[in-house]
Amino acid sequence: MTPEVERLERLAERLRTVDPYIPPPGAKIRGWNLVLAAVEQSNTARSGVHPIRRLVLASVAAGVLLVAGAVAASADSLPDSIFYPLKGVLENTRGALTFGASDQLAYHLDLARTRLTEAQAMFARHRVDLADQALSGLDDQLNDAALVIQAEKQSDPAVGAAMENRLRQAIATHDAQLAGLQGQVTNPTALNAIMQARDRAAQALQTAARNGKGNGNPGTSPNGSGLGNGTANSPHPTPKH
Amino acid sequence: MRPLGKAASDDDRPLIERVRKGDQDAVRALYERYFDRIYNYVYARLGRAEDAEDLAIDTMTRGLTRLDLFQDQGVAFSSWIYRIAHNATIDHYRRHGKVSLVSLEHAPALESADPSELAVEQMSNEDLHAAIRDLTDEQQQVLILRFFQDLTAAQVASIMGKSVGAVQALQHRALGSLERALQGRAVN
Repeated sequence: MTPEVERLERLAERLRTVDPYIPPPGAKIRGWNLVLAAVEQSNTARSGVHPIRRLVLASVAAGVLLVAGAVAASADSLPDSIFYPLKGVLENTRGALTFGASDQLAYHLDLARTRLTEAQAMFARHRVDLADQALSGLDDQLNDAALVIQAEKQSDPAVGAAMENRLRQAIATHDAQLAGLQGQVTNPTALNAIMQARDRAAQALQTAARNGKGNGNPGTSPNGSGLGNGTANSPHPTPKH
Repeated sequence: MRPLGKAASDDDRPLIERVRKGDQDAVRALYERYFDRIYNYVYARLGRAEDAEDLAIDTMTRGLTRLDLFQDQGVAFSSWIYRIAHNATIDHYRRHGKVSLVSLEHAPALESADPSELAVEQMSNEDLHAAIRDLTDEQQQVLILRFFQDLTAAQVASIMGKSVGAVQALQHRALGSLERALQGRAVN
């Protein structure tokens, strides 16, 4: 054995004689209480859920998150998005849960505004076909709004008249936007779709004005341009091709 | 030297099975078996009773509440609990800072101190502990586990994830470094 190894052996032996650090009793008791509490909590959390059930729960949670994500994504989706059909489903669900004439009117006006925004976006992307569909949707919503107003006028003419004014204001806003859009597009098909949408909006206002004349001014355009007098007096005649 | 108790390995398996079934007595038995050892290990590494207490409790809590992870490790429970303690120590160093150590492995011996004259038998335990804390992380680990915890080279190898031969070589180098560290202290 070399001197170095002998020295190191001696050192190792000396280390073996070092007294260990012993924890104070209080520390050990405190530790046990904490460990026991943690173990019991851990057992409670684990015992109630079987591994397979846990897997199923995790799958369901993942599914819910996926659906929630898709719903969130669909809320602002445009007609060229894969989430767009889901948006329609959500809108229909919302409609089915909307009660009362005033709320239904608000619902249809909201969707009309959404369709118009979609149409503008689709025109910007040169998707005239989808823009046309969106404008048809706008027309449907305005017609539905007009029917709601008609029905309300029969039960409460004053409220019906107020609702007609709301529709008139909304259509005036839409018409201004459509007029702006009309000045921007050059595609004849797009131009035609926009002008038809403006005509149909005017027709919807006439429908709302029928059976009531609640506001006493059914034939006047909201912006004084003649809107509301029907297609014959439309301020934006169908273009001649 | 006061014994720290038996460092179990295979003996732990029945206890662990009982712990998994929610047997509180088995939890207590494992706690009693390892708490002092872990406290001793952490204290030797850190040199502070308060920190050692917290880290020992934290180690035991993690070890006894995460037995599902232990099953996947493929090592003895004793090795696993020491690994947790080691990781807790490293985390503690990271959080509270530790002077980075320079290995004394290749440091020249001080001329004024003859190794053969180093009276290790007369050195205080505190001097030995303090000198050990001057060593590198691995050197500290091997000396504490081998000599303070009285574990075999095979057990230390399992804890450190090394071969037995590597542990023996590391132990030799660690003792050499410790000798030099003690010489330095003797001179100062």
